[in-house]
Amino acid sequence: MSDPTRFEEQVLPHLDAGYNLARWLTRNVDDAEDVVQDACVRALKYVGTLRDGNARAWFLTVVRHAFYDWCKRNRPKEIIKDDGTAIDMAAADSSMDPERVAQRSSESRLLADMVAELPLAYREVLILRELEELSYKEIARIADVPVGTVMSRLARARALLQRSPQLRAICERPGGER
Amino acid sequence: MNCNEAGTLVARYADGELDSTQGRSTEQHLRSCVDCAAKHRLVLALRARIHAEVPCFPAPSALRERVRALLANAQDVAPARPRPERNRWRWLTEGAFAGCAATVLAWVMGTAVIDWRANEDVAVEAVTTHVRATLNNHLIEVASSDQHTVKPWLSARLDYSPPVHDLAAEGFTLTGGRLDTLDRHHVATLVYRYRLHTIDVFVRPESAHAPSALRTVRGFDVAHATGSGMDWLAVSDVSADVLTAFVERLASADAAR
Repeated sequence: MSDPTRFEEQVLPHLDAGYNLARWLTRNVDDAEDVVQDACVRALKYVGTLRDGNARAWFLTVVRHAFYDWCKRNRPKEIIKDDGTAIDMAAADSSMDPERVAQRSSESRLLADMVAELPLAYREVLILRELEELSYKEIARIADVPVGTVMSRLARARALLQRSPQLRAICERPGGER
Repeated sequence: MNCNEAGTLVARYADGELDSTQGRSTEQHLRSCVDCAAKHRLVLALRARIHAEVPCFPAPSALRERVRALLANAQDVAPARPRPERNRWRWLTEGAFAGCAATVLAWVMGTAVIDWRANEDVAVEAVTTHVRATLNNHLIEVASSDQHTVKPWLSARLDYSPPVHDLAAEGFTLTGGRLDTLDRHHVATLVYRYRLHTIDVFVRPESAHAPSALRTVRGFDVAHATGSGMDWLAVSDVSADVLTAFVERLASADAAR
């Protein structure tokens, strides 16, 4: 099978998933298109290395790489080396300090905006888990981190989003909804 | 299990990442512990809100066209490759052709082994059909989310009347239907949307050639169920458990009423 044919049959069906990831990572329509186009050029080049198996996870990995290269060129500040504390600090001083969050929550911010404002490392695992519904193992491979890191980032991302007042209400409802 | 031990298990349980033993003991703990049960509910509530409020963005058509142009370009260049590589694989291609020929011949002979082969071929054929329809933007011939529009359209073109259900309330929105050929017969294909994913459901009268309950072909899952006198074959890139539950739900939809 030629590379273009293989690309057409195995990768192209996952273009929506790739674009969705790029759209949430770049948070911008035009940038997302550029990233996905670059990812497609790469995917076409390396599609020969794609063995039977999860073409969607493979393509998402390519999209993510394309995004990080794009990000290095265009928004170097957004990439933070992962030593845990750096990410927590970024989370604290970007848009997520509790007071500002509380203030904005009271203005009933949209959940989609809160997701868009998550620090990059948290946002990507949350999108892969909740929108693309990938397993921890698949996410770990795509994001190139151990499964334990996927779990801790996911927990942080959820904790940040769960500060929204409606969700708190569900949590605190006496007796729950059993 | 105490709350300390339950720690990360609660999230993993909510994400379907526990094996059955861990799952059971976590379930037990959730029943007896108000705090952990609240944490669990919080994860599920957040997920429900994300599904309702955080959009999946499909690729814009302009992008799709650019990628197509990229492909067309590559296809023009592809034949200019050095010959040795093609020779190296020629035996494989010939082998594949011989294999196909053998399958066809064996199928005609109709032994038990061949029957099994044919069953698997139905799954492969279903995936090929799904991919072709997606790529050619030919997913839908009758576009409607109304089951009472889709069903008569299909019935008028087939020698059977496929049950059509709209499960929008459960997240599976009927977007339309089309006609396909599967296992040498015309079949009804129902097209559903589940968030970002397209699900093709092939519905036909119960057939001798049916694949196993779940298979993966080229990264797509093919889930199969029988019910309501029909044979249901769903193809998609959604997660396997969602697809299996969906096809079983469709097959039993009449009985459930």
